Amino acid sequence: MSSAFQLNGVTCRFRDLVAVDGVSLSIDEGEQVAFIGPSGSGKTTLIRVLNTTLLPDEGELSILGEPVADHGVAALRLLRARIGTMPQHLGLVENLTAIQNVILGRGGTRSTLRSVRDLLLPDSADAEKIHQLLDRVGIEDKLYTQVAKLSGGQKQRVAIARALFQEPEILLADEPVSAVDPARARDTVKLLTELSGEHGFTLCVSLHHVELAKEFFPRLIGLRAGKIVFDSAPDSLTQSELDGLYELSDEEMMTDA
Amino acid sequence: MITTPGKFGRRRWVVLGIGLLFFLCAKDLGLTPAGLIPPDETRWERTGEFFKAALSPAFDYEDANVPDDADPIWIKGLKGVFLTLKFAFGAMSLAIPAALVMGFFGSSSWWPEPRGRLLAALLNAIYFSTRFLMSLLRSIHELIWALLILSAFGVSPLAGMIALALPFSGTLGKVFSELIDEETREAANALRAIGHRPVQTFLVGTLPAALPNLITYSFYRFECALRSSAVLGFVGIETIGLYIELSHEEFYYREVWTYFYLLLALIIVVDFWGAGIRKRLNSNSGGCRT
Repeated sequence: MSSAFQLNGVTCRFRDLVAVDGVSLSIDEGEQVAFIGPSGSGKTTLIRVLNTTLLPDEGELSILGEPVADHGVAALRLLRARIGTMPQHLGLVENLTAIQNVILGRGGTRSTLRSVRDLLLPDSADAEKIHQLLDRVGIEDKLYTQVAKLSGGQKQRVAIARALFQEPEILLADEPVSAVDPARARDTVKLLTELSGEHGFTLCVSLHHVELAKEFFPRLIGLRAGKIVFDSAPDSLTQSELDGLYELSDEEMMTDA
Repeated sequence: MITTPGKFGRRRWVVLGIGLLFFLCAKDLGLTPAGLIPPDETRWERTGEFFKAALSPAFDYEDANVPDDADPIWIKGLKGVFLTLKFAFGAMSLAIPAALVMGFFGSSSWWPEPRGRLLAALLNAIYFSTRFLMSLLRSIHELIWALLILSAFGVSPLAGMIALALPFSGTLGKVFSELIDEETREAANALRAIGHRPVQTFLVGTLPAALPNLITYSFYRFECALRSSAVLGFVGIETIGLYIELSHEEFYYREVWTYFYLLLALIIVVDFWGAGIRKRLNSNSGGCRT
């Protein structure tokens, strides 16, 4: 099986802060992986490295078999079009309708003019496809509703549909359940893993929720202070490993206070 | 919040300084309260007449020489109001597309990321020269633009419209570019992360997000254009302002008030219309329905 991601000693710094610290990691195509760890552990930075919006300061990164360091702007753009990203705050255009937001999912492989036309006069084939996708995520009646008028959970469905319409080989989701209630959080994580199975895309999700991660993901990667502290299946994960993830070190307690 | 003595002291000095500056200016300009007292008896009478005429606006011409087959005064006034409206509308139709173009080049949210040193220098040059052009356009008042353009091209509706459109495009463009740059980048970042080009992101993400604000502001400027277009009557452009000016010259104050009231009615109608549009845009928390 070929690999979706191959990281070798990847490090990212923001001035003095080392957000991702020498991470080496391999994720195969079709895998479902959850990154867990406390806030500030480097989950969001790692997601940004994986979608190439943040390039590593050190180390090697290959995505879908392509070494990213060799890529120019255009090649990087084409690579990004193969990777779906659901940012933590979804990144929807609030005053456009659901269909308009979803159709933008394919903008990475379409021309600028085509994208403008997509907003104004969507193809009937695209509209049909988007209707099916919204049906799959459970909001088929919201096709022409402005996103601003949708609930938090419904907005999330629009963002998922946008990612699906992109037909990505990999889907990254950064804290997809941070803004919804627990019952809906479970539904969302379940939906994402199901869709990954149906469409065959690699799924990488960063999660605060250890229980959800253990329930739905066959592989959990624990991050703390930018480093991987464990990488294992949920059953072989020990309580002490989990405790170690969230327990504050003396030094962190000092900085927190 | 803690107010430190130092901060309070500085604020007090600023207020004192502004007060002092006012008195210095007033002294320099020869400002006295007596400046509003008319210099002789006839002026007193005229002032009285002018305000008395407010209570009895003319329903017929005060000028006896107006031919019998001329339009009644209120028809003439209404026509003047519509000319004012058409004029403002025409000027805005020229100003808004120009402002959109300048607003684009005067904003930075469409810039590619990352950019090389050469590209960054080029983008900065475009950015600053556009902002300079917009400042130049709006630093000159529409009345001065009108005097400049009319003296060059003669009194024509198009010349007047351009005189109005020039400073308005500068102001609109400046505010457009700022509204665009103030838009949150979350949606734009999300689109760039899935391979959208920078300009594509601008057109399908940032611009649609900013559009309700742009529309609201354009409408406010349209109201300003109405008042300015009336004022352009004073330099000879045929709007309600021209009728006001001509009647005023002949001391037909009751006619002046008839035109004032018609202009006021127009402003009120447009104001309500604008409030309605703003309300609709807000209730959608954005407009841009396609």
